[in-house]
Amino acid sequence: MFLFLFRILKLSFQDIFRNIWLSIVTVTILILALFSINSLITVQVISQNAIEAVKEKIDINLYLTNTASEEQILSLKSQLEELEQVKNVNYISKQEALLSFREKNEKNPEIIQALRELGKNPLSPTLVIMPSSSEQAPELINILRGYQSNIIESRDFTDNSIILEKINNITDKVNQVGMVIIIVFVVTSLIVVYNSIRVAIYTHRREINIMRLVGASGSFIYMPFIVSAIIYSIFSMGVIVAAFYPFLSLLQPYLEVFFVGYNIDIIGYFFSNFWQIFGLELLLVILVNVLASLVAVRRYAKI
Amino acid sequence: MIKIFDISKYYNPKFPVLDNVSLHIRPGEFVSIVGQSGTGKTTLVKILTGEERVDSGKVIVGEWDITKLSRNQIPYLRRQIGVIFQDFKLLPKKTLSENIAFALQVCSQSPAKIKKIVPSVLSIVGLEDKGHRYPNEVSGGEQQRAAIARSLVHQPKILLADEPTGNLDSINANEIIELLQKINNFGTTVVLVTHNREIVNRLRKRVITMDEGRIISDQEQGKYIIR
Ligand SMILES: Nc1ncnc2c1ncn2[C@@H]1O[C@H](COP(=O)(O)OP(=O)(O)O)[C@@H](O)[C@H]1O
Ligand SMILES: [Mg+2]
Repeated sequence: MFLFLFRILKLSFQDIFRNIWLSIVTVTILILALFSINSLITVQVISQNAIEAVKEKIDINLYLTNTASEEQILSLKSQLEELEQVKNVNYISKQEALLSFREKNEKNPEIIQALRELGKNPLSPTLVIMPSSSEQAPELINILRGYQSNIIESRDFTDNSIILEKINNITDKVNQVGMVIIIVFVVTSLIVVYNSIRVAIYTHRREINIMRLVGASGSFIYMPFIVSAIIYSIFSMGVIVAAFYPFLSLLQPYLEVFFVGYNIDIIGYFFSNFWQIFGLELLLVILVNVLASLVAVRRYAKI
Repeated sequence: MIKIFDISKYYNPKFPVLDNVSLHIRPGEFVSIVGQSGTGKTTLVKILTGEERVDSGKVIVGEWDITKLSRNQIPYLRRQIGVIFQDFKLLPKKTLSENIAFALQVCSQSPAKIKKIVPSVLSIVGLEDKGHRYPNEVSGGEQQRAAIARSLVHQPKILLADEPTGNLDSINANEIIELLQKINNFGTTVVLVTHNREIVNRLRKRVITMDEGRIISDQEQGKYIIR
């Protein structure tokens, strides 16, 4: 069994090296196909992160009048809390607002100075409302827009549904284009693998003929070509794994700039999903290449 | 050893290449098959090695009905039958020894056995000191000897020789025929397809003459029939 494997591997490496240029082209095409697939995964991960980041930034604030009494505020708070789109309502009193404002602007003496000169607390009490889910945010915002209460001074909604929609649109477009690219590459690599196996069979027609003649079993005749296809797959996958991390580390700083304040770790994503991503891709690429070479072998290396 | 019952073979549906051929060859026989070019001799050889299938009839080799052989069984048939050809079918980038070893490797023989078998078949054909040479470093006759040595590695019961002397001068040709006779004397059934009248007439063995896909004569101690 070991001997069999060894001999098959030897024959297979002979195939690969005898048509070394064709092998290089084959592997290059496979690498490009895998690269396009992984790039699409990267885009997916980034856009997913972008969506999460934007969703996290949903702010729904109701600023209340300075004259509103504690009682009125608490009753409004509990009324709002009864809405099903609301997860919780956080009441920030004038004093708390001032404290956190001071804290935020600690390093900004001009603002602190201006505040001191004003002599009184210019901030209003605030209700900070968390929607029960980001999907329900637009609905909640609509309700709050029309909510009648004489203690509400102003309303502040960062309506990010437009941004979300934009991100979704861009992601959809990228996905569509990416799918086309992937299909093109997958079909191309199928054809290329099929053809390189065919050429390998052609260059080895004497050997194949002699193997047949002396009674080599079928597996000895076609296995080397199948093994070559597997070696192409493993090799190109290896190159992708080795090349993709540097590529991601080039990307990472840009992402960090783009997602300020939001923790995005694309390398970490690929690391923690290593087998789900690269393992699955390896299986798929082997499957596809073995199928292509089986077809070639069936047609051109009859026993 | 070989029993052929009424076989026909068509490449083209209108013209049979073999037309109701029947033939029995006993174990240990030395049979020559002669006939003009295009009369189906090579096709007959290919049917015996399972390379071509008959369209009707039955062929029995040893105990096997080879017309019923599955694809997976054909390699085992071929290990029972040695074949040599006009072009020797040696791999140019391997030495004579490596060519012979290759035949054993692809049939899953162990390195230890290969080491034993290669020199022994080389000595049968008289090439014991030329195994390290490449095919283009030896004469045509020696290449054919190496091919014969390779055909013997599985100790076949039958040796099919399809015009083995076609590319050789008469001295080399005679040596090859002598070698075939020697192998026949060991008990191997030899089927020799040839054009060479001189050889056939000197052999004084059974001669089967074919024409247009049919056997037109079959004589013990026969002669090459002139048409
Ligand atoms: N694979 C093939 N396809 C079609 N015709 C073939 C094939 N092989 C041989 N023939 C035809 O069959 C006939 C017999 O060929 P062959 O058996 O090689 O004759 P021989 O060996 O007696 O010269 C010839 O006419 C040849 O052209
Ligand atoms: Mg012929």
